Amino acid sequence: MSESTPSPVPHELQGHPPSHTIAHAQTQHEIRSVTDKISSIVLKKGTHLGWFIGFGIGFALTLVLMLSVTWLLIKGIGIWGVNIPVAWGFAIVNFVWWIGIGHAGTLISAVLLLFRQEWRTSINRFAEAMTLFAVACAGIFPLIHLGRPQYFYWLFPYPSTMGVWPQFRSPLVWDCFAVSTYATVSLLFWYIGLIPDLATLRDRAHNWYARVIYGFLAMGWRGSSRHWKRYTDAYLLLAGLATPLVVSVHTIVSFDFAVAQVPGWHATIFPPYFVAGAIYSGFAMVLTIAIPLRYAYGLKSFLTDWHFDNMAKVMLASGLVVAYGYLVEHFIAFYSAHTYEEYMMTNRMFGPYAFFYWMLILCNVTIPQLLWFKKIRLNPYTLFIISIIINIGMWLERFVIVVTSLHRDFLPSSWDMYIPTFWDWSTYIGTIGLFVALLFVFIRVLPMISIFEMRELVHHEGGEE
Amino acid sequence: MKPLGTQPPEMTTARQSTWRTLEEYAGDPEFLSRVQREYAVGAEWWLDEPSRRQFLKTMGASFALAGLTGCGIRQPEEKIVPYVETPENMVPGVSQFYATAMPHPGGAIGLLVQSHEGRPTKVEGNPDHPASLGATDVFAQASVLDLYDPHRSRVVQRNHRISDWPEFLAEMTPRLEIHRQQQGAGLSLLTGEILSPTLQSQLKQLLTTLPQARWYQFEPAASANASEAAALAFGDPLYPLYHLADADILFSIGNDFLSDGASHVRLEREYAGRRKVEADGQANLNRLYVAETTPTLTGSKADHWLRLPPAEVAAILVAVAQKLGVDTSGISGTNPESVSAQSAWIDAVAADLKAAGSRALVMVGPHQPTALHVLGYAINQSLGSIGKTISFHSPLGNIEGIEAGTITELVAEIDAGKVETLVILGGDPVFSAPADLDFANHLSPEKVPVAIHYGLHHDSTAARCEWHLPATHYLEEWSDTQSDDGTQSIIQPLIRPMYQGRSTHEILNILLGEATKTGYDSVRGYWQQKFGADDYVKWHSALHEGVLSTNKSPPRNVAFREASLKQLPPLSAASEKEEGDYTLIFRVDPCLYDGRFSTNGWLQELPQPFSKLTWGNAAWLSPATAAELGISTRDVVEITRGKTSVEIPVWVQPGMPDKVVTLSFGHGRQIPDVTPVGVNVNVLRQSTHPWQTTARVKPTGKRVVLPATQHHHNLHGRDLLRHGTIQEVRDNPHAPAFAQSHHHGGESHVDHDHDHDHDAGPGDKNSRVPGSDQPTFYPDMKEVGPQWGLTINLSACTGCNACVVACQSENNIPVVGPDQVSRGREMHWLRIDSYFVGDDQAPDVYHQPVMCMHCEHAPCEPVCPVGATTHSDQGLNEMTYNRCIGTRYCSNNCPYKVRRFNFLDYHTEEKLLPVLQLHENPNVSVRSRGVMEKCTYCVQRINSVRIRSKMEDREIRDGEVVTACQSACAAQAISFGNIADPNSAVSRDKEHPLNYGMLAELNTRPRTTYHAAVKNPNPALVSKKEHA
Repeated sequence: MSESTPSPVPHELQGHPPSHTIAHAQTQHEIRSVTDKISSIVLKKGTHLGWFIGFGIGFALTLVLMLSVTWLLIKGIGIWGVNIPVAWGFAIVNFVWWIGIGHAGTLISAVLLLFRQEWRTSINRFAEAMTLFAVACAGIFPLIHLGRPQYFYWLFPYPSTMGVWPQFRSPLVWDCFAVSTYATVSLLFWYIGLIPDLATLRDRAHNWYARVIYGFLAMGWRGSSRHWKRYTDAYLLLAGLATPLVVSVHTIVSFDFAVAQVPGWHATIFPPYFVAGAIYSGFAMVLTIAIPLRYAYGLKSFLTDWHFDNMAKVMLASGLVVAYGYLVEHFIAFYSAHTYEEYMMTNRMFGPYAFFYWMLILCNVTIPQLLWFKKIRLNPYTLFIISIIINIGMWLERFVIVVTSLHRDFLPSSWDMYIPTFWDWSTYIGTIGLFVALLFVFIRVLPMISIFEMRELVHHEGGEE
Repeated sequence: MKPLGTQPPEMTTARQSTWRTLEEYAGDPEFLSRVQREYAVGAEWWLDEPSRRQFLKTMGASFALAGLTGCGIRQPEEKIVPYVETPENMVPGVSQFYATAMPHPGGAIGLLVQSHEGRPTKVEGNPDHPASLGATDVFAQASVLDLYDPHRSRVVQRNHRISDWPEFLAEMTPRLEIHRQQQGAGLSLLTGEILSPTLQSQLKQLLTTLPQARWYQFEPAASANASEAAALAFGDPLYPLYHLADADILFSIGNDFLSDGASHVRLEREYAGRRKVEADGQANLNRLYVAETTPTLTGSKADHWLRLPPAEVAAILVAVAQKLGVDTSGISGTNPESVSAQSAWIDAVAADLKAAGSRALVMVGPHQPTALHVLGYAINQSLGSIGKTISFHSPLGNIEGIEAGTITELVAEIDAGKVETLVILGGDPVFSAPADLDFANHLSPEKVPVAIHYGLHHDSTAARCEWHLPATHYLEEWSDTQSDDGTQSIIQPLIRPMYQGRSTHEILNILLGEATKTGYDSVRGYWQQKFGADDYVKWHSALHEGVLSTNKSPPRNVAFREASLKQLPPLSAASEKEEGDYTLIFRVDPCLYDGRFSTNGWLQELPQPFSKLTWGNAAWLSPATAAELGISTRDVVEITRGKTSVEIPVWVQPGMPDKVVTLSFGHGRQIPDVTPVGVNVNVLRQSTHPWQTTARVKPTGKRVVLPATQHHHNLHGRDLLRHGTIQEVRDNPHAPAFAQSHHHGGESHVDHDHDHDHDAGPGDKNSRVPGSDQPTFYPDMKEVGPQWGLTINLSACTGCNACVVACQSENNIPVVGPDQVSRGREMHWLRIDSYFVGDDQAPDVYHQPVMCMHCEHAPCEPVCPVGATTHSDQGLNEMTYNRCIGTRYCSNNCPYKVRRFNFLDYHTEEKLLPVLQLHENPNVSVRSRGVMEKCTYCVQRINSVRIRSKMEDREIRDGEVVTACQSACAAQAISFGNIADPNSAVSRDKEHPLNYGMLAELNTRPRTTYHAAVKNPNPALVSKKEHA
């Protein structure tokens, strides 16, 4: 696959026999039909029952999250299973997991834009939305996991009258900057990308309220060539800004572990291995969302098997980097001849949490090897199942890193078990609910596929013809 | 104003046979006054419409009282004498120390109690007191919390209803008058051991004036076997005292002398004094052989340790006696074959004992059969050690001319209907009396018309008595007591009685018909008579010193009667029959004693030796026995003896002998409003053989959570706890191999490090801060002023836990409860790790106290995002609680896992119950929810010394700062001071070849270091072991 070549789409097409199931989105649409199809999902009157069911589930789980957080604020983090020695539990596991998921959105929208991978057009909008919602879910955890969450702002270098400053050697401070920058840039990028489409919706809306709201959000976009010039410049600049974030955010998240000297955390492989893991889980999540979406809204002409194939290949590649990371961890544990490192690895494989480790290997290393087969990549059912398995696997990876490293470190006298409580689970599942609910709202009120970029693609194709 | 209580409450008691009508009730002035007393004074105001004036008056009074914060007014009225300063000099914020003593069965311990504005907060040992020598034990340390126990009984109760002293006196005076007319017939007293000279004289007065009255004694944790044996061997029921300073060879037969018994603080000091290895490798070590059944802390300190079933323990002693030429023909029931596997051991012990002669000592445990005690005395006699390492003394609790009955005799007397009035002075016999006596049912009104319970709690005994009288805690009463060697001390109160309690002296005064005489008058009167002319000076000095130096029980000259060896009692009681194929051993609980401390949170949450179990007891089984039963730790078994069954969780304890079950009593005591913790195993104890019996054991299939603080006792080959033998030290005195790092990391500095060890001399920083020669990216910490460091000698540490409770008491460490402990959230800043070395059958056990290492390059510091944990110029790793936001990253990055986090609001109970706030040390912040905390090296103590030294314009002297753990340690295992001063005690300790830093290879540069444990095994046994 020629992901790195900036060739226009028709060349790609020529590479594939027309009889093949892989078909291009734009071959089936004209400019008008693109706009009609995508904007109608948002603007049509009445809402499908399925949407209500999906949103209802998400919202109910969001309420569970609210309840869990309220109880947490009343009682303290002792309602979770964290203890000494395992002072970080689900909160950090979930934080890293959600942040990782977010990465695919940025990668798709920014990096692939810069590399002129036009196939990204079909998926970038909701992938970016997914990034935002994942970061929102992730952002909850570092906040509520604090013993005294009311003082979270002490992590920021605000001008305190007491003259106190954060302690800049701590990776948690770096984290704070990395994640807040990431959230800001992702939001801007997503919003700027939405402006032309918001204008389209404004123009097409029949409802007065919708016109006003979309009009307000479209910020007076008229589609003049000056607008377009400014717009493309800004978008490209933001893409340039967002690109290093793809690497930096998860690198810094990995520093939370790598800077500490806990065996199982203190490893130089962590930054690249975490970034690969983030992309891995992010693409898995994009697929987990895209496949049902395509069926629900009949978007097969936009989200083609060819897109899924490409994403599966990215997953396969990043999955192999992750597998390499596991391998290096083992090798270093052996090569260091360090008692504590060696024991940590033995304990991961054969200790009380061995089940989680082997499940992780199964989910993240073994099963994804099926993606070598084209049949599997082109079958949305198998792909959907594998993407869910990878999501689980990546969550297990973070669990294994956080919990099994901490629960048995240097002094055997301090070794203990971490057993998640009801509130650990309810908070985690609650954030999944929040994520789902936000996605459903997004699908209903904003175009999930970038209309103008799609039109551009069709136009390009037309021009070539 | 309307009178209260016009509705008739249930006024009839079980004893009131006639009914009165409601009209009579309402009109009866006695009834009305009784009802009035049921409510607090002033309660009736609140039923009326409050007038503005009344409201303002009350508000004003409330504000005024709130300003007094409880205790400023609680100093006792009588003159008490502070240890250091006089009350006139009392400066708010500056604490004072008063000498007093804590009574305890077997002998009291002398204490200095710290008082903050009239509020006793912390207990320290009295260096002038022979049973303390400046150190304390867990019970003394925790006793201050008992004073503030919210479950203490506060008022006189009659049949569970609130009453008061006047009512009690009104009822009792005529009753006592009748007894007096009958020369005391029908009046019985049940007491614990009485060591107070004043109380002894009061009791003597009572029993002489009322010769028909009876006195019974019951002490659930005491055993008369040693003195019974002395009666056989020497013709006098004397009790033995051990002197370890000059003992070279110690042989203990089930004697846990380092952690049990009234002398254990002194013996710990004497024992540890003989375990010191000098920096040049010179040492004059004693050698300890222990043969016992249940593994004890003493056993863990042994150089050779056997854990065998009781019959084999007896056989070992018999075999050793035979080797030493002592006549053992009088002993029946031991099988020498059973210990044939231990013949080398027996030979070695016998040879060592013989060689040491009068410098040897055989100690038989207090709960061992009488015959073994006689045998032990015989061996000591043949070695010539009597009068040298063991001395015999007259019992302290005996009152001349008065015989005390046993609780068994009391029960017989009750059955005979001869007890009209029973006064139970202290104790909870319904809980602790042997099950076969069925004491609870003997307290019924049909059997004992009037039963009076006097104690600190309205417990299960109180619940069965008509009257309950609240007692005073020793910190709020005037009394006196004696230590194990007969040293007498005055108990002076540090606080006025918090509730309506009265002291035992005052109860005796009531019985003597002098109800208005105070405890102070009784104690003062007794000593006035004793002191004679010098009274004022002597009294003053006795209060000041805490010790009456002149009075000590002199050793008695004894002559061993060889004939006694021929008339030995059988090893097991005749009445004992086989009840099952498991041997049950009962032991005094190492944390709750006989149950008297069962409401003490510090002791409940104190990790029990070996198991590290908190909040409850468990049946100890050997791994093999557990496997045979198909159970493991946390499974519940049913232990059946006769018709009684007890369900108790199992703790699989490596080193337990097979087919033996050890149960500690003192748990499961019933006190209203307190959830009983643990299982009451007293129901299996028999009056004839309270320490050992047989029973059936079967699994129940149930499982429970057992809150333990340590789950892994295997070192996994890590050199965290280093130990070796004195021979290894002598082979290479400057750098014994076992004290060196094994170097897990394989870094390149290994050889460099070794070079360093050889030229380590005074002033060398690397020897004082291990690893400080290793390369690092971080700059060295700024060092200004004294540099604090601490060293723990693992050879001396017995794992007795006194430091843990001392730390908890000093630093306001909360009690978190069993649920939180089982979740791994105990808050102890200082813990004692136990590691088992060797196989499951007979592992060696080592103890390692672990607190914050105050690393110079502390891993916790760079990871804190808000800088809440930082380094001081004096080398302290400091926590700023106000700045902490609770990320817990510091704990994750701490390799020693000494940081503790407030996962929940652990001080809730204190907030809800103001009485619990009184025990808090005002110099230490109480930490809120969501904040990390850890050992501070008692920074508040450092600061108070620093302030004093600045005021006196001088440097801080070596040894001037004493941490709480250090001062509590009987073994003097901890040294603390300025490591920048090469001549300080701690610097010298750190330059010792045995000194090592735990995990120093991580480049943490710990300021807390350890001295590797050194054992002194018998070379004969070591080579045998190696050949095997």
